[in-house]
Amino acid sequence: MSRILVAEDDPHILSVICLWLSQQGHDVDEARNGLAALQQFGDKPPDILITDVNMPGMDGLELLHEVSQNAHHLRGVVVLTNRWDHREISAGHAGVNVHVVPKPFSPSKLADLIAEIDSDAATMSPPE
Amino acid sequence: MPDNPNQHRLKRAWARITTPLWEGVIPEAYGLALAATLIVGLVGASLCASYAVSRETDALAAESVRGTARVVAAALQASPQDDPRERAALLETLCKSSGATSARWTATDGSLRAEWRPKESKAPLDVPTHEASIQIVDSDGVQAGTLQLGMSPHETQTTRRALLWGNAIVAGLALLLFLRIYWKLHRHVRPIHAVRRNLTELARGVENDLQALSLSDSLGEVASGWNQLIEELVRLRGDGDAPHQSGDAAQTVFDRFEARTLRQVLDRLPIGVLRVGLNHCCVFANRAALQFMEQSEETLRAAPVSEVLGDEATALLSAQNRSPSPSSFDRHSGPDDGGVTLRYTVYPSQRETAGGERLLTIEDVSFRYEAERSRDRFLYHVTHELRTPLTNIQAYAETLAKPAFDDEQTRRECYNVIISETRRLSALVENILSISQLEVGSARVEMGEVDLVRVLRQMVEDNMGAADEKSIDLTLKLPPKTPRIEGDKQRLSVLLNNLIGNAVKYTPEQGRVNVILEVEPQFVRVTVSDTGIGIDPAEHERVFEKFYRAADSKIQAVTGTGLGLAIARETARLHGGDIHLESEPGKGSAFVVELPLSKSSGVEVEQR
Repeated sequence: MSRILVAEDDPHILSVICLWLSQQGHDVDEARNGLAALQQFGDKPPDILITDVNMPGMDGLELLHEVSQNAHHLRGVVVLTNRWDHREISAGHAGVNVHVVPKPFSPSKLADLIAEIDSDAATMSPPE
Repeated sequence: MPDNPNQHRLKRAWARITTPLWEGVIPEAYGLALAATLIVGLVGASLCASYAVSRETDALAAESVRGTARVVAAALQASPQDDPRERAALLETLCKSSGATSARWTATDGSLRAEWRPKESKAPLDVPTHEASIQIVDSDGVQAGTLQLGMSPHETQTTRRALLWGNAIVAGLALLLFLRIYWKLHRHVRPIHAVRRNLTELARGVENDLQALSLSDSLGEVASGWNQLIEELVRLRGDGDAPHQSGDAAQTVFDRFEARTLRQVLDRLPIGVLRVGLNHCCVFANRAALQFMEQSEETLRAAPVSEVLGDEATALLSAQNRSPSPSSFDRHSGPDDGGVTLRYTVYPSQRETAGGERLLTIEDVSFRYEAERSRDRFLYHVTHELRTPLTNIQAYAETLAKPAFDDEQTRRECYNVIISETRRLSALVENILSISQLEVGSARVEMGEVDLVRVLRQMVEDNMGAADEKSIDLTLKLPPKTPRIEGDKQRLSVLLNNLIGNAVKYTPEQGRVNVILEVEPQFVRVTVSDTGIGIDPAEHERVFEKFYRAADSKIQAVTGTGLGLAIARETARLHGGDIHLESEPGKGSAFVVELPLSKSSGVEVEQR
């Protein structure tokens, strides 16, 4: 099971993601905006980061840029977005496993994606 | 039968001879002939009259001579003289006293009995002498011979002289008149004839040296007018790009007139029009084209258009030689958002236009791009705003369907979110429809008398729950009397609800929202003020734009469609009013709506 940080400004979406991932047995932390997420990222480094793009203050892309400097422990990043330019979102973050999930999304599929990232990480670098 | 060229040439030659004849010489000759006839008639009549008078005078003179002769004869009979000398003396006396010029008395046998002749004739030679013969009978009743008396009566001479002078004067006057008519005709017909002849030559194009067609100034005003025309024509030809060696010169004048008119029309067009020659140099550019390219016509003529328009245009112009349909490209300058986009279109050369020239138009299509950008922005915002409630509905519906989440609290939360997000979705759809209709002017408006006080009370009541949740003090202040206004009650309700709802939404807890209604002579004013975060003056106008959300994170943290204020402004304007914002960051905001009072709004609603 993984430690997951969810950055999302919409309380309902944040709530439902946390509900599903907790139910899957993950350790989930919530952040209502980019700055709060960056703070928590430093305090309690997660295995997986789930972030929305449009957030007040620091948006998801800025957050991604910030965390990609210190991402050696990060198994993957899931970017939730309303935007169409998915390729542009995932580009420019070498060394970070970025997945773009367009809104509206299915929570079960998000849970499956998290499980997939976990299993990929497990096969590529078995825990020491 | 086809036209024989020789025949044609012959016809033209004949026409060249006959046309001036008919059009110049003959009218002049006719005029002169008519004048001559009149004058000859006049002189003839004068001569006829002279002749008649002369004859009458002659008859009278003859009668007078006969009378004198009779008197002389009677005197001779009365005193017969045997002596020849006495006879002669008597005859002389008688002749001198009667004014006779000669007298001869012959006997019956033919012998001369007496004769008198003045020693020197004083009578002018041109005055005829009237003669009369009278038989002389002596006192015995015997025939004594014949008296021949010559006389030149004074009256005849006078009359003849008068007639001579009269005729001379008439003839002189007639000559003067003729000369005068001739001079007049010559002055007026000659230049017209000359102009006509020259015009014919010009129209045939036989004369290339226009100066040779100018007329002598001595021909008067017509000639000077014609000469001015020729000078203008010479000037116009000089202006032209290439001298027209052949072709219809008169047509050229017309074409140039038409070209000038056309140029004036083209200069008024908002579209740039360029004619580009085969050497890629500009032959013609209208005013708009020069403005778009920021060039003067001289520089444009001198250099190939590729230097001004770049390689893209050159490629297009070269390619256009082969393409049958117009082709175009757009070039953008200035900032991406805004700036100017010009569309260059090259039209194929037409066979009938000389020298394979191409037509290039330049159009400002910025507004099309702006419309496209605006549409894209709208679509982006709409889909963006739709995705959030849809995401919630999908996620919570799926949660509800999953047996793992079967506890009562989760299920209730799912239901609540689905219901609220569905409401949000339908409100959003409603707002999008509403703003679209308002913007294009197709909104259905049901105008009627609106009791604004009642509407305000209702809207405040509707927002009271939300205000209470945040412990916001929501108050309504009304004037003692308010006239009804004319408007669409439903739309005005939405307007006021948007303003009050926003104020409650963006005001922090423990804040205050005041709704104030004021009545002015011409309009009513509704002010919705709050103790919220305030809005930077730079954003005062932008808050009324569609989907605009202030950059402030506190505002972005609150859900909204970004259409409420846009709808409010459009609705206020639909009612002939307007809305504006008075706000400073940190000092709260006041949205002020002014709606005109209807002209017939005499009914006042009194506050209870």
